[in-house]
Amino acid sequence: MKEIFFFDADCQIGSGPAIGVKPGVRELLADMDRFGIDRSLVRHGNCALLGAEAANRELAEMLEAAPTDRLVGVWCILPDQCPELPQGDAFFAAMKRANIRALTLMPKEHLFVPCRLAVGRIMDAARERKIPVLLKTEGNDWLNVYDFLREFPRNRVVIYERWGKWGRDRQLRPLLENYENAVFSFGGYQVPEGLRDLAELYGAERLIYGSGYPLYNQGCGMLQLKQSGLPDDAVAEIAGKNLEKMLAEVQL
Amino acid sequence: MSTSIWEVPGSLAAKFWQEGRADIPIYDMHGHMGTHNGIYMKRSDPESMAEHLRRIGVKHLVFSHHHVVFGAMRNAEVVEICRNYPDLYRMYVGIVPCYPENIREDLADFDKWAPYAVGLKCLADYYKVPLTDPAWEYALKFADERALPVLFHTWGGSKYNGGEIMMKLVQKYPRIKFFVGHSLYGEWETAEKIVRESNGNVWLELTAIPGEYGRIEKLVSAVGSDRLLYGTDLPWFDEYQATGGILSAEISEDDMRNILYRNAERILGKDW
Repeated sequence: MKEIFFFDADCQIGSGPAIGVKPGVRELLADMDRFGIDRSLVRHGNCALLGAEAANRELAEMLEAAPTDRLVGVWCILPDQCPELPQGDAFFAAMKRANIRALTLMPKEHLFVPCRLAVGRIMDAARERKIPVLLKTEGNDWLNVYDFLREFPRNRVVIYERWGKWGRDRQLRPLLENYENAVFSFGGYQVPEGLRDLAELYGAERLIYGSGYPLYNQGCGMLQLKQSGLPDDAVAEIAGKNLEKMLAEVQL
Repeated sequence: MSTSIWEVPGSLAAKFWQEGRADIPIYDMHGHMGTHNGIYMKRSDPESMAEHLRRIGVKHLVFSHHHVVFGAMRNAEVVEICRNYPDLYRMYVGIVPCYPENIREDLADFDKWAPYAVGLKCLADYYKVPLTDPAWEYALKFADERALPVLFHTWGGSKYNGGEIMMKLVQKYPRIKFFVGHSLYGEWETAEKIVRESNGNVWLELTAIPGEYGRIEKLVSAVGSDRLLYGTDLPWFDEYQATGGILSAEISEDDMRNILYRNAERILGKDW
């Protein structure tokens, strides 16, 4: 039996002109069944081009239509000086209604500077409400991640890679060492037995399973984790318990 | 939830999930060894790599040493590493086109390096010397005369080892066993065309591909699983991630077995 609870932290659903036809709710649920994924944290796959406001709304509609509570959503934020999204408490109330429990931001695609001046208010509120913020790196583009964590060291930040085939320990380890609230979602991290090394250095609580779906399928990272050489309890934490606990603490 | 792939009794996926290995050999046809300029590789030494390989049941890793293809290390030194792990390691003789005398010297010793040296490795992108350049010719003729495997680093769109160049090579050298590293990543239709128009002497090698959503399925559909070879670039990529990518693909177990070991055995035999 599979016996381990898996919660995928790094999934996208939804199609768009720039990304083509991609899996929706039904396809994701079928894939989750195929691999034995219990729950998934999902972003809108076309958020980069569609924009935060429309993508957040579409994602909420997709989740509302989904016949399941296995999917939890992630909304994208913008500088609140431009009132494109609901402001203040209204934003978090809308999150609660739509089953959204995490945030992300795409400053490169949505053309803003990801600093305190621009997103300080919403990041402070996210910290107080213990809402995790998913933060993307891409290839060698880690400087923004370093800057962001320097600005918001007390937020719960989930670092994930969009195209991470080359081992990124030289970029990643300084962050895990210096920012105790930062965790790493390891989709695309393929360093041989690197998961064990990271868990032994920084603790299993600093890693969470994320597939990178639908760039990657959900199965390869599951076997990588299961056979990482870590003790069963550490594997279980990384597979799903860490994320489940993190989201259970969110206050909306 | 329905039954997951890891729970199907007797399946390869269930065996790897439960036991970390299955009752099959795995041949990893694309490896390296040694430290790297851009990546921290904790497990790049022969012993650490061997531990990782043996855990999942890799029978042979065929590799070219980073310090040969990126530095001044000689292939003869790699033979000595293989001799210390005679059951596990096999090597590609690294061909560096800017050292023509080394190429001639090393290939003169090729037969002495049996059974460890099984073929050649060409990394044209890294030297910015197209594979059609005369600098490669001596080595490629050598391989063609002997029908040797040559693992080519390839990448879609490259002017050094992309599709157009590989097509010319396949037409020029009908006896070389072409291992198309990374399957001409991104130039998928050309990769298919090269296989289809070849003399039956081309295999697409999968390093960096397993796990990508639907990609293995498309390659199996395009060229057949008997034309695909398993590889990981170890110490770059985790064997369980890569094997997991094969096991996660929606292909038959026969296809998986072809990729993981049968094709390598068809090319090189069961005892090499």
